[in-house]
Amino acid sequence: MAMQTKERPVPNGVVLEMTGDLTYANREQFKTAVEAIRQKGCRHLILNMADVRFVDSSGLGLLALVSQNFKLSQAKVSMLKPQSYVREIMSLANIQKLIPVYDNEQDALGGQSKAA
Amino acid sequence: MKRETPESGTGYASRTTPHAFVAPQTVLVVDDEPTARIALTARLKRLGYRVIEAVDGKAGLDALRREQPDLTIVDWMMPEMDGPSFCECVRQDPELLTSQILMMTGHDQPEQIAEGLARGADDFLSKAASKYEITARVQTGMRAATLIRRLRDATEEIRQKQEALEQELQSAARYVESLLPQPGIILPGVRMVHAYRPSLALGGDLFNIVPWSDDFLGLYLLDASGHGVSPALRSSSFATFLRRDSLLRHVGSNDPGAILTEANKQFPLTETGHYFTIVFASLDLRCHTLSYATAGHGGALLHRRSGEVCWMAQPNLPLGFDSSTSYVTATLPIGPGDRLYLLSDGLYEFPAASGELWGQGRLETTIQALGQQPLETVITETIAEAVRWQGHEQFPDDVALMGVEVAI
Repeated sequence: MAMQTKERPVPNGVVLEMTGDLTYANREQFKTAVEAIRQKGCRHLILNMADVRFVDSSGLGLLALVSQNFKLSQAKVSMLKPQSYVREIMSLANIQKLIPVYDNEQDALGGQSKAA
Repeated sequence: MKRETPESGTGYASRTTPHAFVAPQTVLVVDDEPTARIALTARLKRLGYRVIEAVDGKAGLDALRREQPDLTIVDWMMPEMDGPSFCECVRQDPELLTSQILMMTGHDQPEQIAEGLARGADDFLSKAASKYEITARVQTGMRAATLIRRLRDATEEIRQKQEALEQELQSAARYVESLLPQPGIILPGVRMVHAYRPSLALGGDLFNIVPWSDDFLGLYLLDASGHGVSPALRSSSFATFLRRDSLLRHVGSNDPGAILTEANKQFPLTETGHYFTIVFASLDLRCHTLSYATAGHGGALLHRRSGEVCWMAQPNLPLGFDSSTSYVTATLPIGPGDRLYLLSDGLYEFPAASGELWGQGRLETTIQALGQQPLETVITETIAEAVRWQGHEQFPDDVALMGVEVAI
């Protein structure tokens, strides 16, 4: 399934609403969207994964790459509401160590330590 | 039927002038009527074309095959094989079907033109056409012929390059497979069997054994993200790092955690976001232990003789995600009859036609059900069961499965 992304500015950051699969086939689209946000000097990127059904190994690599690139720009990346299957993949690869996972936007914005 | 010299299809090649750099384009004129044919031939020669003549449709087809002219002008009205039938023969012949054909007719009724086009002519030329129109129509036909020829040459070039590329890939695939270990006895009392099914010609999964000593053995299975040439190259470079002498030099230890911690520094995430997952295990026959570490790799399980299955995955970052990660070794006791399976996620993360994934649960049930059947059977039947689930032979991702049985 193709991926659609939509940016939404929030205080001190940008929420990227993602719909579709984060996979090898959609990598360019995701990279372009995220890189554009980083270039604009975003301090905090929040990836809303609520409508992402599937993340494959390429998708996982992209998330790690995005997290590294934002770190180099002194910015951070968080993840919002991954679906259960995606959450399982994330936790097996311990992604929450790089990208904190939150169940609601307020917590993500506040950077609360009670990450989901 | 009128027949006369020249004999069917015999060509009159116009002499090229000494300073001509390009061979003249060739026109085949197919007409049983000598006066009309000779007049048209003369006119075309004056325009600088090389002309071949044929006195009927059959001779025309022979000349077309033999001379491969750029353009064919065929008369509608001919005995035995008329113009439209000639066109149909050409369009049915794979070698001739791209030929450009101009159909000549005395009565250019719209219905007749439509029929001629429908039966395979590319354009029409009235017998009453002025020399300007003849010149223009022939040039138009030549333009089309040139484009078609270029397209055909380009297609042929692409086909040849593709063939060369595929041969390269196959030779690279043979190299990658040559890196895989020989199945059989790998230590006294330890037997290994494996299956390897790359999704494309070249796979990014690799596994091997690292012989530490007579009673101590390293085993690993790694999975490079992505498909094709680049992951295969990255995997073989990683496999070189994982050779015994290299590990002793770079890590100075045979501890799985220490090996992965160092590998994590040596193999950072690529600029396109590619990385490895891996399980590295060490089998110590003296102490009867299996020590292991994993990096983002879920495919490792211990099937005990008792029937109990123990997945060895630790929730851990894949290699290259964070250079400060330390990978920790875990240790399990191991006994006679226990079997260790190292595998890539390609063996459980693939869907049935319904979209439902096979999953680790079904893989575990399959291995458990096969029980203590010979290791070869377990490996073959596990793959066969996975194939039955997805409904076809071709896995979407690389599949690798290595089974190791401890007898003592």
